[in-house]
Amino acid sequence: MFLALKEIKREKLRYGLIISMIVLIAYLIFVLTSLALGLAQENTQVIDSWHIKRIVLDKDSDINLSQSLITKKELSTFKLSRKDAYIGQASIVVKSKGNKKESAQFIGLDKHQFIFKNIKLLSGRKAASNREIVVDEQFKDDGYRLGEKVSFNSFSGKYQIVGFTKGAKLSVAPVVYGTLSAWKKMQSSRSDFKASAVVSQSSNFKAANSQLKSYSSGKFINQLPGYSAQNSTFTFMIAFLMIISLIVIAVFLYILTIQKIKNYAVLRAQGIPAKILVIATICQSAILVVSGLIIAALLTILTAVFIPTAVPMSFNLPILLSVAVGLIITGLIGALIPARIIVRINPISVIGE
Amino acid sequence: MSVIELRNINKIFGNKISRVHVLKNINFSAENNQFNLVLGPSGSGKSTFLTIAGGLQKPTSGQVNIEGQPIEGLSSKDRDTLRLNKIAFILQSYNLLPYLTVKEQFVLVDKVKNKGNLDSSSLDSLLKKLGIEELQEKYPGELSGGQNQRAAIARALYTDPSIILADEPTASLDSDNVKEVGSLFKSLAKEQHKSIVVVTHDLRLVDFADKIYEILDGRMKLKE
Repeated sequence: MFLALKEIKREKLRYGLIISMIVLIAYLIFVLTSLALGLAQENTQVIDSWHIKRIVLDKDSDINLSQSLITKKELSTFKLSRKDAYIGQASIVVKSKGNKKESAQFIGLDKHQFIFKNIKLLSGRKAASNREIVVDEQFKDDGYRLGEKVSFNSFSGKYQIVGFTKGAKLSVAPVVYGTLSAWKKMQSSRSDFKASAVVSQSSNFKAANSQLKSYSSGKFINQLPGYSAQNSTFTFMIAFLMIISLIVIAVFLYILTIQKIKNYAVLRAQGIPAKILVIATICQSAILVVSGLIIAALLTILTAVFIPTAVPMSFNLPILLSVAVGLIITGLIGALIPARIIVRINPISVIGE
Repeated sequence: MSVIELRNINKIFGNKISRVHVLKNINFSAENNQFNLVLGPSGSGKSTFLTIAGGLQKPTSGQVNIEGQPIEGLSSKDRDTLRLNKIAFILQSYNLLPYLTVKEQFVLVDKVKNKGNLDSSSLDSLLKKLGIEELQEKYPGELSGGQNQRAAIARALYTDPSIILADEPTASLDSDNVKEVGSLFKSLAKEQHKSIVVVTHDLRLVDFADKIYEILDGRMKLKE
């Protein structure tokens, strides 16, 4: 540690530049991780809030809620418990005078079932009639007010916002909670549809009809349109940034070690064990990475404070800490190449020069 | 008893067509209180002789004894310990870490070897004798060539070694500095009972040495 600190103190510019590189990479990784997490959450937020274990869909729906329609007949053999609920889903565009149009996900609920009962309101009340809706807080941020009457696409009639709820997003769109009856009216082609899906908080819930199939909530979430592709993209970006940081640290430490190799050779000739020099290099790498991470963390905190709420970023401390630990490990791996050079230094190389 | 003794040392590099017999049947011994000078032109085998004497490489044949003990069976770690405690190397350059002050060069030694080093009063008097007591807070890059070499000598002596091996220590020094270094080596041998071995082609050190050897084409002989 002594050698590592003394060298950094003496070569402020050189090590400052390396730390700057690490700050930029770490900040980018933190922001991308938060963005990935934020987007993932906005895809699944409403499903997560229901705490469901299973979902039953039409078996030909390709595990896609939008493509699933279940008839009364198919559900006739179902006996729902208080842990089960019907949901009717439809993609809609919400319109009102004076506000911008909002693409949203309509979720029709039965008011006697757990999802409706468990809706947490920020303000207002729950829907009491087919023409009343509870909407995600994004509508409030975009200027919609309690009591405001809105319409959906080309569907006839107006719906009144009676409550705002928090954390209700599905496939990155705000959710509009209404009644199952209202949802049924949207399905104009046939009148015998009962719901889009049946969800359950019980892990043993099964589809009691051959036309229906039960899936785990994890599998259902992974099949949400674009969800897996988006997560894979972010995972690859973060992994590549980790690899880039590994290469940056390894290359810088390698160059710095090569520059010091003759001094190290003399120290080795004088009997200073290679272990001391290797530890100094590893400490140096740790100091550089930790310093870079601290500055990057401060920048990330500033970003979290000042970023507009519309940007889907979620700053999750445990996940960001694990990313930081990953970067420290990366830095230590990056120090192994120069460490190998130090171990192989031949003190004879400097004698006779 | 000889502090350092080389018996029938041969060193051969390469084989077949690239075979070079660098040291040929070298016999050498150095006592306490002696300043030994080994002269020879470039490529004569001086540096190879010094590295074998200091245990940095093994001879092809022959035996090296330090304070009466053969060193060929020592592990790499034990050789490090031997050099750290008993043998000091002073080289032409790169002796000091550029990012440590003169004072911190001694702190580094303390971090590795915390017993048997010079105490602060002995170090102060050594630095005073070398004329660098005012330069302890300076970095090597802020010192002249002569000051740097004197600081390197102080660094080498800090571990209180019994043997000092120096490779061309005066190559980059002017005549005044050469006289200072020569006098210092002589006084270290006489007053502190060190065994000094300097390999060089610098004839300006001849006047200070007790014994002068010459290496030519791998063979060593004592100059009368």
